[in-house]
Amino acid sequence: MKTIQRFAYPIFFAVMAILPHVLDSRWQAVAITFLIFAVVALSQDIILGKCGMFNMGQALFFGLGAYTTAILNNQYGWSIIATIPLAILIPAVCGVLLAGPIVHLRGDYLLVTTIGFNIVFVQVVQNNLGGITGGPNGIFGLDSLSFYGIDLTSQVSVYYFAFAVLLLTLGIMRNLAGSKAGRAMHYLREDQLAAESIGINTRIYKIFAFALGAGIAGLAGTVFAVQYSAVSPEAFDFIQSVLFFSIVIVGGSSVPGVLIGVFVMFVLPEIFREFATWRFFIFGFAMIAAMILRPRGIIPATFGKIPKFLIKENNHGA
Amino acid sequence: MDIFLQQLANGLTIGSMFALVALGYTMVYGVMRLINFAHGDMVAASAFVGLTIYTHVTGQATSLAAVVAIFLLSAVVMAVLGVVLERVAYRPLREAPRLSAVVSALGASLVIQNGIMLIWGPRMRIFPELVPQVYWDFGGVVISLIQVIILVLSLVLMIALYLFVEKTRIGAAIRASSIDQDAARLMGINVNSIIALIFIIGSSLGAVGGLFIGLYYRGITFNMGWQYGLYAFVAAIIGGIGNIPGAMLGGMLLGLFNAFIAGYVSSTWADAFTFILLIVILIIRPTGILGERVAEKV
Amino acid sequence: MAHNELILTDVTKRFGGLTAVDALSFKVSAGQIYGIIGPNGAGKTTVFNCITGIYKSEQGSVKWRGEEIRGLTPYQIVDRGIVRTFQTIRLFSQMSVAENVMSGRHIKSKQQLWHGIVHSPWSKRDELANWHKVEEQLDFFNLSEFAAIPTGSLPYGIQRRVEMARAMAVDPTLLILDEPAAGLNDKETMELLQTIFKIRDKGVTVLLIEHDMDMVMEVTDYLTVINFGKKIAEGTPEAIQKHPAVIEAYLGSEDDDDE
Repeated sequence: MKTIQRFAYPIFFAVMAILPHVLDSRWQAVAITFLIFAVVALSQDIILGKCGMFNMGQALFFGLGAYTTAILNNQYGWSIIATIPLAILIPAVCGVLLAGPIVHLRGDYLLVTTIGFNIVFVQVVQNNLGGITGGPNGIFGLDSLSFYGIDLTSQVSVYYFAFAVLLLTLGIMRNLAGSKAGRAMHYLREDQLAAESIGINTRIYKIFAFALGAGIAGLAGTVFAVQYSAVSPEAFDFIQSVLFFSIVIVGGSSVPGVLIGVFVMFVLPEIFREFATWRFFIFGFAMIAAMILRPRGIIPATFGKIPKFLIKENNHGA
Repeated sequence: MDIFLQQLANGLTIGSMFALVALGYTMVYGVMRLINFAHGDMVAASAFVGLTIYTHVTGQATSLAAVVAIFLLSAVVMAVLGVVLERVAYRPLREAPRLSAVVSALGASLVIQNGIMLIWGPRMRIFPELVPQVYWDFGGVVISLIQVIILVLSLVLMIALYLFVEKTRIGAAIRASSIDQDAARLMGINVNSIIALIFIIGSSLGAVGGLFIGLYYRGITFNMGWQYGLYAFVAAIIGGIGNIPGAMLGGMLLGLFNAFIAGYVSSTWADAFTFILLIVILIIRPTGILGERVAEKV
Repeated sequence: MAHNELILTDVTKRFGGLTAVDALSFKVSAGQIYGIIGPNGAGKTTVFNCITGIYKSEQGSVKWRGEEIRGLTPYQIVDRGIVRTFQTIRLFSQMSVAENVMSGRHIKSKQQLWHGIVHSPWSKRDELANWHKVEEQLDFFNLSEFAAIPTGSLPYGIQRRVEMARAMAVDPTLLILDEPAAGLNDKETMELLQTIFKIRDKGVTVLLIEHDMDMVMEVTDYLTVINFGKKIAEGTPEAIQKHPAVIEAYLGSEDDDDE
């Protein structure tokens, strides 16, 4: 089992790195979508899985990033690359502002307020507030990526852009796990009172989780905008948030769990096109079954990453 | 003034429907601390069920007897479905963390919603005209017979439910289970039966609500449940979750709020304002207007 | 001059119509092992909750090192050197012993939020230093062999030690123990006694609630006795044993040997 774990990541990265060269155009697009949604799902995992907050509005931050890129590029002529910092920052700041008043709420209420934020966002965008969001049809005709004058218009380059974002996200999550902030989120998720009583300012870390998750989702939004050269309101409807939420819970708060969840939710339907109309019907049953049989998810979170020098000879291991 | 009165009438009508649906949410949440996400889809399903009963069972008759039959049969079907829903998706998760039940509820919601789509198709269907199109015009303010019926019937049902819960022994058992499930069990109350009863009542009321929605809006789609469900849940929270008069009050208030926004601002902003209202209330007075009545599981 | 003293003056806590703590005053001096005892339901844990910020008392003052701490949040109080354990163990049961103890180092670590996104050489050294502190606590409490084991699967007595290790990892000035001997057998209770003495030798002041009278008599320097939220006596263990009001309060109550 340990050997599988040691090689799983390198194999996964190697496969993903050469993938676009063996796929045709349609499947490349599917692969890009997989990468983008994997990033959003992982960002959702930070808030929901690691920090334990019932956030069902992640599509909001995803959409904020996408729309930021779209508006800055379309209305103000910024190059796509230039929009990236703001596409991360604006959702992150929104994450702080929105989370602030609600993180103390009980789980179910937090859930409903995040749904509310998502719905408000979609409706604001649909109603073309300020005349810049393009209304129900969204914004079209975005530029493609260009890097110091080199145009990266091919789908393969979009793929590698998405892949880079996924690698970045995985790197951040690994750093988070081995840091004071990351551990604080675990502690407060397990027992908030105990966490407070041992000296953790739980409020700060909850808001930080939201901000970090929002920023990463926002970056995924930029990739999304580049892939389709367009953004539209329905792509960020709260039903998407429901899917991201379910992926994290059903897949489990682990990288493999989330990736499998994204694969099942978004890639399998492409493979089995005939079953498209039955997709959600079957998913619904799968969700119920998963909760009854594997309440902690298909591949649950693992703890116990402690330095080797603490594990003594006669240990039973973790 | 005209707009005000018109929206007042509309608001009360919509509010009644919200209230009927909100009751289902609040009762389930009160005893089980569970957001029954599938409830909204049950409401939608009842409209389709009613449509089918009309077409295939009552022979498309529109007599009063036929209409009553449609209502009763739909309520029975939905009540049965409600009990099945509880048994399959919620009972196995009684002891599980709440997150599991939430996901299961979402799963159930997807199943029901897509079940409707698979049976009745993805396109909008037209609900039959069971109530004659009678209108009264009060100097610019138009009120329809449908609106009056919805309002009156809803009030009757709500008052009946209120009396049932407050004045009968079974009602007391429901209230006890809302406050402390374990204590209720120790006092000899069969909490499983109470829960089944709650789903029966909630689904039946929701069924009536669904039929009203069909009557009022005429066009029904398979995914209209979520919209309604969310609104109704917001109404239940605003009134105070677990609190039955609260759900009624919350429903009416939300209906009025919705109608006034539609009338004075624009209907395209109705959702946004509604949720902003919810967020504000949760921040200022999270226990709702009339206060919560939920099982304490600290 | 900030002596390490905890002074409660007229602290009162009400829950609706019930007065759980009634105008309670006592003073814990630096280096003492101070005990709060009283029959079940006397309000002892409530007092602790008032001190550690879980509740805010309606009236009175809680002064630590000359500063009023009434009204502060729990983590702010930990920041000032006061740490408590819980009567019902509140460990992070899915997580390993080492991670649990590491939570005690949280407030001492100077890492910033952004170190959760990107490590720096400095933050890596901070991590390592804190894990070594965890190692110290594991050694002190004889928990080294369990370092990687999830605490939820460990025997009760060991979980209690983990909780104390976690509290001590904070390097507290005042350690508050809520019924530390509850659920322990005689051998474990003896070990606990020795541990408390060792902690005091490190310079930590200890305030504890306890039911086990033998242990109380052995370990405490000074006691306050509470019944129905009010102080009914205070004094050294020997004086308390003979105090008429205390005897009366305990007379006829169930034998309070924990199992």
